Amino acid sequence: MFLFRVFPDNISTYGQEIDDLFWLIFLFASIAFVISVFLLLYPLYKYHHKKAPKAQYITGEKKTHFKWVTIAVVLLALSDFAIMFAEHGTWAKIEQDPVTADLQIAVTGRQWNWIFTYPGKDGKLYTADDVMIDDQNSELHVPVNKNIVFDLKSRDVVHSFFLKNVRLKQDAIPGRTLKRWFNCTKEGKYEIVCSEICGVLHSQMRNWLVVDSQENFDNYLNSLYTNNKPKQ
Amino acid sequence: MEPSTSTHAHHPPQSFLSKYVFSSDHKVVGIQYTLTGLAMAAVGGFLAYVFRYNLAYPGSPIPLFGELSAQQYNEFVTCHGLIMVLWVAMPVIISGLGNLLIPIQIGTDDMAFPTLNMMSYWVFLLSCIILLASFFVPGGSAAGGWTMYPPLSANAYHNTNPDFWTALFSGNSLVIIALALEFVSMLMGGINFIVTTINKRAPGMTPMRVPVVVWMLNIASVMFMFAVGPVFAGAVLLLLDNVIGTGFYDPARGGDPILFEHLFWFFGHPEVYVLLLPSLGVIAEIISVFSRKPIFAYKTIIYLSLVSAVLSVMVWAHHQFVSGIDPRMATFFSVGTIIISIPFAGIFLSYMATLWGGSIRFTVPMLWAIGFIGVFLIGGLTGLFLGSNTFDIYVHGTYFVIAHFHYTLFPIVFLGFFAAFYFWFPKFTGKTLNVTLGKLHFWLTFFSFNGTFFVLFFNGLAGQHRRINDYTLFPSIMQEPYITFQKVATISAIILILSQFIFLFNFIYSLIKGKKAVNNPWNSSTLEWQTDSPPPHGNFHTYPVVYHGAYDYSMPEMKEVDFVPQNLPLEKKTI
Amino acid sequence: MSQYSQFIPLKSVPQGRLAIWLLIAGEFVIFGGLIICYLLYRMRYPEWAEQTKHTNTFLGALNMLVLLTGSYTGVRAHAAALNKQLNKIVLWMSISIICGFLFLINKSLEYAHEISNGLTFNSQKLQDAGDSVGSLFWSFYYIMTGLHATHVIVGIIVFTVILNQARKGKNLHRVELGVMYWHMVDIIWIFLFPLLYIAK
Repeated sequence: MFLFRVFPDNISTYGQEIDDLFWLIFLFASIAFVISVFLLLYPLYKYHHKKAPKAQYITGEKKTHFKWVTIAVVLLALSDFAIMFAEHGTWAKIEQDPVTADLQIAVTGRQWNWIFTYPGKDGKLYTADDVMIDDQNSELHVPVNKNIVFDLKSRDVVHSFFLKNVRLKQDAIPGRTLKRWFNCTKEGKYEIVCSEICGVLHSQMRNWLVVDSQENFDNYLNSLYTNNKPKQ
Repeated sequence: MEPSTSTHAHHPPQSFLSKYVFSSDHKVVGIQYTLTGLAMAAVGGFLAYVFRYNLAYPGSPIPLFGELSAQQYNEFVTCHGLIMVLWVAMPVIISGLGNLLIPIQIGTDDMAFPTLNMMSYWVFLLSCIILLASFFVPGGSAAGGWTMYPPLSANAYHNTNPDFWTALFSGNSLVIIALALEFVSMLMGGINFIVTTINKRAPGMTPMRVPVVVWMLNIASVMFMFAVGPVFAGAVLLLLDNVIGTGFYDPARGGDPILFEHLFWFFGHPEVYVLLLPSLGVIAEIISVFSRKPIFAYKTIIYLSLVSAVLSVMVWAHHQFVSGIDPRMATFFSVGTIIISIPFAGIFLSYMATLWGGSIRFTVPMLWAIGFIGVFLIGGLTGLFLGSNTFDIYVHGTYFVIAHFHYTLFPIVFLGFFAAFYFWFPKFTGKTLNVTLGKLHFWLTFFSFNGTFFVLFFNGLAGQHRRINDYTLFPSIMQEPYITFQKVATISAIILILSQFIFLFNFIYSLIKGKKAVNNPWNSSTLEWQTDSPPPHGNFHTYPVVYHGAYDYSMPEMKEVDFVPQNLPLEKKTI
Repeated sequence: MSQYSQFIPLKSVPQGRLAIWLLIAGEFVIFGGLIICYLLYRMRYPEWAEQTKHTNTFLGALNMLVLLTGSYTGVRAHAAALNKQLNKIVLWMSISIICGFLFLINKSLEYAHEISNGLTFNSQKLQDAGDSVGSLFWSFYYIMTGLHATHVIVGIIVFTVILNQARKGKNLHRVELGVMYWHMVDIIWIFLFPLLYIAK
């Protein structure tokens, strides 16, 4: 349809649903757009004063006149409800429904990078042996095909955790801990950005999401345990 | 108990100062508002040019400006947003149009409170000056985005305890003070509009005979008054956080930054409709006059506007779908947002139905009006994508949002204003504008605007996030076609800005050398066209009595002409 | 006779009254915004009950009485204005103005008491004690009552100006407008009093 790809690669379990939702809304919006442009431009041609020197007197207050507007509005309302019906399952899946966590991590925004905290050897977060990676350009390694549940926090100002390939975005609000999840289906290295203005170096706030196979991920985690001294 | 007739009309002011500067005449105040707004638009447009150039050619020095630092970039995007919405759109669309049109369209001499009206302008000018001054204080102006989300917008949480005066004269505080003054000024104006419309209509001007634009301005004023209170309180709290270091929004002190987001958007969302409704009124007026037909379903349009006004104050949190609000609440707001499309579809379809069966004249204002509908249509339909909370997860804070709201606000503010400008210029100046230049201005503006923002939809869908001065760190964005799209947008934006010089030239040239305008060049039946061009102090030589609705064009019983002025009975004359 | 004919409006609603109603609506949404913010925090922090114990219910109630008295005398002044009894207007409005000053004196006594206990706008004492949530209560207390007291000051000024005109028999209709404003200030206090003083 286009000469280029509209969306970046989708690597998550729910990303395709969001892309499909776009095309659904796009379909309704295009139909509405084509009809409206026709209704706008055709009378300009048909009822130009050279062709139609005398206008008709239509107030539109009669029901028979307003019928046409009503029909169009009802059609629009129906497509609205179709959109809401279609989207709600995905919304519930991403934001509402409980998921079983295969890996629980914490992500914290600060000026100007993301801090990733992995559970220590005990497998539990917020214990003394957690491993924290606080570095610009650092990578968030996650295993493929696993539910990653993360606690999102912020140390200073409002940030927004945006994984464009996962189609996930969530603001990090200082003083709050928000739980979100994702599940990557494809190995590779992807961008993590901050999409809420957060100060002078907002444009430098970029980390990487690295999706590993389970084996590579285990190796990575072990190397973390040996190289990094556990931090609070 | 109180005599409500105004007495000041008996003494038109004589000296230059009292006639053109410290004037309480609604026409002069309206023109002052409009010109100030346009001057601020020049500032906002220049800021836009600077950062747009930077986006296309990052790192290279900008002609007429020089190097742009990251801090300045943040400042410029912040102030561009604030200026365009609050210091251009509000004075031009609400105060400018309201002051010029309300008294004369309802057939009275002036506002209910002319002195209050004058004061509202001077308070507004003061707020403009404070806003512009904020660029020149140490540390520069506000740089936390036009939404001013704390904690970023509150100095005190970052700097090591600035003292009171430093904090008071920091960019953030000055912007908040300017904002508060602007709200005060608009409240004064709003009270004036509503009282004038309720109280000073000419005999016979029943509510359903009032021109649509007056209705819309009043609905907008009521909405503004209702929505502005919380954000006014919120701004005061933010100012205190900033200046004396209270912790209303400081999470470390038990405050909550989300509270400000709610207060801001409780105002920020209705604000769009506050601007949209008067513009829609202008478009209705123009379409009706130039298709020589009554507005289709005049009463229904007004009822639908009231419905959408009520709905619009209930959907503010759709700006916060990813802010961590309760997911079930987000669903509610998403449904509300999508439902808002229904009354507006009704209004726009009524406009299109007005064209149907008319006798259409392609004048310059008509071009702008048609352009408005076409462009706003894209803005409205892309709103469906953002109103859907699920898809908003992906495109929130990207160029898709930027493109969307420019597709709504640009037609509202500029296409709507230019339509009104080309329509009412002969009335309020007594001179005729050059038609060819007007058409050239329209086509250049129309194409360059679309060139600027249409491509940005694709950048947004690719996940390009906002408010970044340099994308070199993001390889997914630094690839074709997105780099080219940024350049297309920038070049179009420069053309867009340059084409406004045509308008400026046409404006000044016509003012000096333009042909003298006749009283009613468009054969319109509303009251403002039934007096001199420009109207005298006091507007009318003989105060009109209204006999019929504002849009009774081409009635079957009319034979020689297709309109009867509102101040003449239908059965008399020419039928 | 001027060149302009006399303007005859459609309806003769007193436009001053209309404007004051709109002003009152505007003020209510501003205070409404503040009160909603306060309530949201109040529900989140039950520990604010500890702080509200410091507010002096007696002085708050006294202030309510003072304001209501001012309202009552204002109404009497309005009645006198309807009958054009200039002396009575002066009498009743003066009492209202005195009530306004009493309110402010009362308020400053209260403030002085709180401040002497270290409970200031941005209480450093509480913050040092680790109770920064508690200090937030005092920020709200001072901004709400302070904004209200500013309105009382404006009310006093408005009454003085109107009184000065009414004394000479000018602009008697403005008595009503001033009293409407005073009632608004009164009603806002009726909201603030239970929120800040009674709910403990």
